[in-house]
Amino acid sequence: MWFYIKLACRNIFRNKRRTIIASTAMGIGLASLIFVDGLMIGMKESMIRSATGSFLGEAQIHLKGYRQSREVEETIHQKMKVINELEQEQTVENFASRALSYAMITSAANVRSVQMVGVQPQKEKFVSKIDEAIQEGTFFQEDNPRSILIGKELAEILEVELGDRVVLTVSQAKSGDLSQEMFRVSGIFSFNAQEMDKGMIFIKLDKAQEMMNLDGGIHEIAVHFKNIQLSLQPDLSFWQKYSRWGNEAVSWTEILPQMMAVWDLTYLSRLVMSVIIAAVVVFGIINTLFMSLYERLFEFGVLRAVGTRSGGIRKLMVFEAGALGIISAGIGIILGLALIGIFAYTGIDYRGIEFAGSTIQELIYPVLKVYQFIYYPLGVVAFVSMVGLYPAITASRMSITKAMRRSL
Amino acid sequence: MDNNKDLIIKTESLEKTYHDNGIDVRAVRGVDMEIFKGEFSAVVGPSGSGKTTLLNVISGLDSPTSGKVLLGGQLISEMLGKKLSDFRRDHIGFIFQAYNLIPVLTVEENVEYIMLLQGVSKQERHQRVAQMLKDVGLEGMENRFPPKLSGGQQQRVAIARAMVSRPSLILADEPTANLDSKTGSDLLDMMAELNQNTGMTFLFSTHDRMVMRKARRIISLKDGQIVKDETKNSQ
Repeated sequence: MWFYIKLACRNIFRNKRRTIIASTAMGIGLASLIFVDGLMIGMKESMIRSATGSFLGEAQIHLKGYRQSREVEETIHQKMKVINELEQEQTVENFASRALSYAMITSAANVRSVQMVGVQPQKEKFVSKIDEAIQEGTFFQEDNPRSILIGKELAEILEVELGDRVVLTVSQAKSGDLSQEMFRVSGIFSFNAQEMDKGMIFIKLDKAQEMMNLDGGIHEIAVHFKNIQLSLQPDLSFWQKYSRWGNEAVSWTEILPQMMAVWDLTYLSRLVMSVIIAAVVVFGIINTLFMSLYERLFEFGVLRAVGTRSGGIRKLMVFEAGALGIISAGIGIILGLALIGIFAYTGIDYRGIEFAGSTIQELIYPVLKVYQFIYYPLGVVAFVSMVGLYPAITASRMSITKAMRRSL
Repeated sequence: MDNNKDLIIKTESLEKTYHDNGIDVRAVRGVDMEIFKGEFSAVVGPSGSGKTTLLNVISGLDSPTSGKVLLGGQLISEMLGKKLSDFRRDHIGFIFQAYNLIPVLTVEENVEYIMLLQGVSKQERHQRVAQMLKDVGLEGMENRFPPKLSGGQQQRVAIARAMVSRPSLILADEPTANLDSKTGSDLLDMMAELNQNTGMTFLFSTHDRMVMRKARRIISLKDGQIVKDETKNSQ
């Protein structure tokens, strides 16, 4: 066995230029795979942060059925108990209560239906990025209960500016009576996402509860975990613990299923890319090994003549393929590390682009994971060795006398 | 009949026909031949007379179209696969016209290769290689690679490789064809001496007059048939 490995390694370097070209080509393929994987992880984490960090939160607690019905009456049960437990929760970094309703917003120039959200400004800062999205004005005026934040595009539709008056109309819980209040625009925000910039307004929670006659009730608690990965764990005890008293705790993956679907598609495209790279590797390795085989036909003939079994010839060719795979894996690892290293430092700028219902808001940094440098290279070596079986079987089945005659 | 126990090769009505571009070429035609232990013989004849084909069929490198080949009493013409490979490995040594050493293996590794296949221990391999290289005059060249050796030295390595596993038969196909006459003559003398000392049987395929002079039995082929079988009187 060791003899064949030694022989294979020496054979690989008989034509150094060919070996280097073939291994570099395969190494580039492997490096691309490693880089794309790192980029996808970085992109996914960035997208999750963008999607959940803007407003959604990584988890939300509602009354069961509220997400489907959106009925004003359906407030969270045992609100104080839930809040007290959340304050003690080890996995939770911050949380904020909200009251929500569809509303009509009217200015002197126009009228529009919107999603009204009542928030706690001091707590909301640590859960969402509404305060960071403010482009004009301030994130609520502390002493003014009638301050309202509206999106940039909505402001253009309503033809309002900072300090202008708008009127909100909502229906009240239980009675269904309409409630109207006048507000002054204290801030204009932009998330670079049409859905939010055109369709959402924020007021203070107390005022929202008063308008909807909620008696201190809330519709939603948005949660920010200490580690974002916790939101991706379906077996996390958090979900069960806060799905009591008729409430339900759900991850952002359930709230934004379209994003997960797009990610599944992205994984599919990565698979397609892997298959394309694999095809390049297959033809590269087969070409290299067959060139090597036909150059050395006489040698294979001699090896067979002096008593080497067909299996020995197959081993030799597979080991040669494996050695080529190891060199390719080495080159791929170095190139992959370099690529990820460079872009992890500079970042890739896709900011402002909407993707899967969310807008990329930060530079994307490829993420280096240990498995990328273990499984992918091992896969390449195993795959290349497997592909080497084809020329190996051809070599082992060749007629000895023909092999010896052909090279003469 | 006393000689039967020393019979190394026996062929019976041996035929080999090639199909080349739709034409049947009868390279060997009904050859009946016996070679005995310790012989130093040569199959001679002009190009295309079937010498190499006969050696290929005798050694199991090629299968006969019909007829039988017995090597050391075993029917090699009906062996296949591993059994045939192992039989060649253990009983036949090959010397080729173009030396055919493995260029990425050192002299020592080339010579010990067959013993590796046989599973001979490292220590014994080392001893036998050292002795064999001494016998062929290549002492001290163990770690050289074949491309760094002259043609004569490479053929000596090939002879050492063929003999080191102690086969009962050495088949040499035009072993002097690529060598100058002095080197070729020296090598033939060396093989004759090894034949005398070890008792191994040598069978050459050649049209080199020098080999014909040194061989003690000459089997002449023409158009695939034995036309003359002559043992020299001095032997």
